[in-house]
Amino acid sequence: MRLAALACVRAVALGVACATGASAASPSAAASAQGGPPALATLPAVPIPAANPPNEAKLQLGRMLFFDARLSGDGSTSCASCHVPQHGWAHGDALARGYPGHRLWRNNPTVLNAAYRRRLMWDGSLDSLEAQARAAMQAPVEGNGKGTMIEMRLRLVPEYRDLFCRAFGDAWPQLDHAWQAIAAYERTLVSDPRQVPFDRYLAGDREALSASARRGLALFEGRAGCIQCHHGALASDEGFHALGVPRQPQFDSHPLVQIAVRWQNVQRGAADATGAGHDGDLGRWYTTRDGADIGRFRTPTLRELVYTAPYMHNGVFGTLREVVDFFDAGGGSTPNKSPLLRALGLSEQDKSDLVAFLESMSSERPRVVDAPRLPPLQPLGDAVACVPPRAGSEGGPAAGSASERP
Amino acid sequence: MSAAVRWLLLAGLATFALAGVCGSGQLEPLPPPAAVDAARAELGRHLFHESRLSGDGSRSCASCHVPDKGYADGLALARGYNGTEHFRNAPGLLSVRLRTRLMWDGRHAGSELAAAVREMLTDAQTMNGDVQVVAERLRQIPQLFALWRRAWPEPAALRGEHAFEAIAEYLRTLDFGVSALDRHLGGDRQALSPLAAEGLALFGGKAGCVQCHDGALLSDGRLHRLGVPEHPQILREPLRTVSLLRHQAEHDVPDAMAVRADLGAYTITQRPSDRGAFVTPGLRGLAHTGPYMHNGVFASLEEVVAFHERGGGAGSELHPLGLTAHERQALLAFLRALSAPLRPSAEPLPFDYGGVAAGTEP
Repeated sequence: MRLAALACVRAVALGVACATGASAASPSAAASAQGGPPALATLPAVPIPAANPPNEAKLQLGRMLFFDARLSGDGSTSCASCHVPQHGWAHGDALARGYPGHRLWRNNPTVLNAAYRRRLMWDGSLDSLEAQARAAMQAPVEGNGKGTMIEMRLRLVPEYRDLFCRAFGDAWPQLDHAWQAIAAYERTLVSDPRQVPFDRYLAGDREALSASARRGLALFEGRAGCIQCHHGALASDEGFHALGVPRQPQFDSHPLVQIAVRWQNVQRGAADATGAGHDGDLGRWYTTRDGADIGRFRTPTLRELVYTAPYMHNGVFGTLREVVDFFDAGGGSTPNKSPLLRALGLSEQDKSDLVAFLESMSSERPRVVDAPRLPPLQPLGDAVACVPPRAGSEGGPAAGSASERP
Repeated sequence: MSAAVRWLLLAGLATFALAGVCGSGQLEPLPPPAAVDAARAELGRHLFHESRLSGDGSRSCASCHVPDKGYADGLALARGYNGTEHFRNAPGLLSVRLRTRLMWDGRHAGSELAAAVREMLTDAQTMNGDVQVVAERLRQIPQLFALWRRAWPEPAALRGEHAFEAIAEYLRTLDFGVSALDRHLGGDRQALSPLAAEGLALFGGKAGCVQCHDGALLSDGRLHRLGVPEHPQILREPLRTVSLLRHQAEHDVPDAMAVRADLGAYTITQRPSDRGAFVTPGLRGLAHTGPYMHNGVFASLEEVVAFHERGGGAGSELHPLGLTAHERQALLAFLRALSAPLRPSAEPLPFDYGGVAAGTEP
């Protein structure tokens, strides 16, 4: 165990050294040398895409936009409506609420630590936070915002005009920059290792984990085999696996869920391609169109689980204990089921220990921010295009951050 | 035909011949009802009142086209979708089947009513709906789905676009009732009061209204510049400005952010001569559809007549008419004779979503 912990500390150091490192789940050389899966690790520095470097104005703007329901079609729904800070930046409902008049078909994943993911969405259909913000706010069932409407609303807010100008050099707020600002803000929503008992443990504080949690860790890496898929800094291989998670009962009872399921399957070609897609979620198939990927979903991170119940892609489990019971039973039944799952024969004590360990990967206090004051739309008057603060940066992202300017 | 001829004689305007310049130059009775597909029109009647066609399930066609208000909304500027405020007046829809151009800027041909319906159902400013969402919602409402299947019996061919066609078919069934003008055109010498009859003569003569307000709808269906004043709310209320500017951006108007006025058909055609041009509205049912003009800037017909009397506003095609106070009253009396009582509308009962058994294709 001490070996693994040391390796993790090294991984952290590596991650910090290469601040733009692409891979979040830094594999530990030591663990690889032992032939096992990459070790659990503390999160490295946040990878920042070269095309969207943060600056002060951008982060301030992104925070406001994240909470601004005026991005949605009817002004009702912000990012924070489904990614609620008080609910671990996820949502307490099993299935996402979506836009008014809807009920969606999957559980809201947390935004916390999403900065590290290579692929987003339960089926991995998107690969950047920028793309996710755009897709979510414009999808008819989520934000239902039309680009030109969102953009023009932003342009009628004087404070936003100023922030877009400072952050991006925009003469008038540009829609794509709204998504960039939101993504830049989301990259600040990461776990603080000092707040996370397991990270303190990895850093050498043996007392950070209870005896039960330490036993849970041993099970996690050993007999229970969780680490086969839940490894690295996110405790996720970011792969796709079919577990046979039980069917979400609302699929059979909730009219709006049924509408959303059919809509997704029609939109994404499943209805035509498989003919059997009207009642279920095909998971990774939507991206790959490979029959072997039906029912596969992305391995979720295990960080901050305490705050992000319910669990699984369809929110079918309300507690971590239910999740552990499910894995203990070797998962469920599904055609492409992962061969990694098998009945574990865990004792009651084992299960309690595993839950104790899982809980140790969450911050002791939830990361909550208050919704910022949002500036109102104002009459346009004779307002004119903003002159970007830096010559030559008009029409494109400002070259540097606000704080770098003399 | 004979009725139109009779009207010309009655009005003493046998020498008044504008046909070929601008429409027929004649007032005509409403043609017989349109032949419609009854099953589609019945589905359309339900859908017209169905708020689940809108994005958030809150707004139906009837929210802004209120049957008891001549299928307009009684507001100067339409409310629009939640979170938006529109920059134009919601027009009435009675006898919309007869219009040659649709929308105040004429951007849809009258023959393509379903295209205009599509725009209203899907545009961010009006209902912000999604055609695929609409299709799946309708599948989940058993009674509406049954009506849909009756209207389009081929199960494999059901498409969300049918909602647009069904509503268009329903709209073709909506007609104005018989007005005093129609009775007059039909030979009833008592139909118009003496003052209104005087107004009719002015309408076709000294006031020249019939140059543009002719035919069965009293509209030539063409674009004209009248210099109607801007509605001050549009620049005062930011969400209305948003709608105005977004409309420019949607149609790729150059330098859209500098626009501070409704450019009318110019936004669509970008022909300089179309700047500030709007389609001539029909004059039937006016009693039910105030306020008036593309932006509802005139609350009363008195204001409308006064505006035309002085030759319109800046850049107007009109010229001052030199009407006396009595002549203006006569014109107003005639305009008021163009409205028949509204027919009572039967709002359909709302249907709930049903549960569709999983895996069962409806």
